[in-house]
Amino acid sequence: MLKIFVLIKQVPDPHNLEIDRRTGTLIREGVENIINPDDLYALELGLSLKEQYDGQITAITMGPPQADFALRECLAMGVDHAILISDPMFAYSDTLQTTLVLKEAFDNIKNYDIIITGSQTSDSSTGQVPYQLSEALDIPLITDIFTMEIKNNEFYCHRNLGHESQHIQTGLPIVVRTQRHFNEPRHISLKGIKRSFEKEVEVYNFDTFNCPDYLDGCNQSPTRVVKTEKIILKRKNEVIGGITKDKIERLIHIMQEHGIERIWTGVSQDE
Amino acid sequence: MSDITEYKDVWVFTENKDHVELHECALEILSKAREIADQIGQKLVAIVLALDAEQYLNTIEEYGVDKIIFLSHNDLKHYHERIFTSLVYDLIEQHKPSIFLFPSTEAGNALAARLAYRCRTGLVSDVLNLELSDDYVNNLLISDKPAYLGNVLVKIICPTTRPQMCTITMGTFQKKKLKNKNVEIEKVDYNYDINKLKIEILGAPTRKDKPSSTLSDAKFVIGGGHGLNSKANFDKLYDLAKYTNGQVGGTRRPIMNGWMPEHLQIGISGETIFSDLYLSLGISGAIQHVVGITDSKTIVAINKDPNAPIFKVADYCIIGDAKEILEGLLDYYRVVE
Repeated sequence: MLKIFVLIKQVPDPHNLEIDRRTGTLIREGVENIINPDDLYALELGLSLKEQYDGQITAITMGPPQADFALRECLAMGVDHAILISDPMFAYSDTLQTTLVLKEAFDNIKNYDIIITGSQTSDSSTGQVPYQLSEALDIPLITDIFTMEIKNNEFYCHRNLGHESQHIQTGLPIVVRTQRHFNEPRHISLKGIKRSFEKEVEVYNFDTFNCPDYLDGCNQSPTRVVKTEKIILKRKNEVIGGITKDKIERLIHIMQEHGIERIWTGVSQDE
Repeated sequence: MSDITEYKDVWVFTENKDHVELHECALEILSKAREIADQIGQKLVAIVLALDAEQYLNTIEEYGVDKIIFLSHNDLKHYHERIFTSLVYDLIEQHKPSIFLFPSTEAGNALAARLAYRCRTGLVSDVLNLELSDDYVNNLLISDKPAYLGNVLVKIICPTTRPQMCTITMGTFQKKKLKNKNVEIEKVDYNYDINKLKIEILGAPTRKDKPSSTLSDAKFVIGGGHGLNSKANFDKLYDLAKYTNGQVGGTRRPIMNGWMPEHLQIGISGETIFSDLYLSLGISGAIQHVVGITDSKTIVAINKDPNAPIFKVADYCIIGDAKEILEGLLDYYRVVE
């Protein structure tokens, strides 16, 4: 049976973020947490592979205990199992540290055929984990695919790489990174929501792994954030007031000052 | 943990574009890396892996490098994850660079992430600025990187591991030619066993170019965001562009909404614009977008939310319905055909 794993992350809803003006840090209170938008395409691919190849699909996330909720959403969408990797020791992990923890998790899982990721998280936007996980597990990473097929434990797909379109074949396991708008992520059904609370979310913590020292996230992440500051960019900030008509007239004037004139585009083709 | 004081010099992955010319971004990084190398009194080294790599050496020498290390082979015509990672990792092991900078391109990001894993070191993506810290003995860099779609810049250091690695977006630094000096050239023999490759290419690949946009060259850019509320309204941006010789772009939201193709995205994961005038309609002004527009000479923002962050970076702020203003502009500019 095809063993499918989808990596997801819970992130603060990027459209409702506020910065504390005094401290320059993110205000977390009252901000809704959501599944990282890019990960929804990964989930959809995983679910459709499960249906097509009669596979088994597991969603995995690493995060604080409340990330359980994001996994419930995955279960509601039709994921069979969910694993939450959570331990205070893993807090503040950077990309390398996250990859090392995920490597431990997959070494623990042992049986995996396809690991699917989104393209980027909306909070830190590094996009590094798919590459590093491919490196850590020493399995190929396939990106930018547009057709795929699995036959006799071999993965065949068409993908874009650089400025080439290639038809490739590789053995499993592999990491697949989905691109945005690759598919149409499904909605959660009412039945799914009910089902999601009947299932267990498996929790991996520091003790689950036979942990080497390097998994101590607080101390071993190679990168450290030394300062967070609000970006201030100097601009004129002149507010154009008046009724709509005044605003439009002023705007046309500004456009003219910048050399923007109406241009003749010729007769349109419909005529 | 290895002794970080053994690590010396500043390296730049000098990527080429379509195996015909050097990537502009690589040249920009070389110029910034020259400054850093001067400050720490160490060498600037360009790393080149390419088909006919010799063709690029003269150009690289114009950017003030002290040394070029290159590999030249037919297998290096395109970036290949296993070949490039393995060869460059060997170079790192052998020479121990202190700082290693990469263009933030498809290949640059991939290679840097893989190497950072192999070296168990830190990698900062899409860096906006680089400066040396007071800890100059260890060449400690401070990298500025935007994070959280919410207007913050984080300063990141990588204090205990080497090399310190960063990817840098095109247009972040200015390229600057310098007087030629004696450049040390080291050719490394290519010795990768391609039988180790796990992916087999079936049949001849076909060329497939990604759609390119002319956003970065446009004098007048019209940007649309989620605040336009519908595809029908967003489509009107194209009419305005047609009548004014402008170029349409936008934030990530219209792409997610299916209103606009991906290659027209302006911002950190899209294009940077250098227009005389940028007209933003219904864009709230998340930092991911804002970093792509600040090189515009004049910015006009239209948004109905007076607290939208876009107004902080705008020269002219119009608080109002973007759709209504857009229709007003169209009434004026529409050409009677």
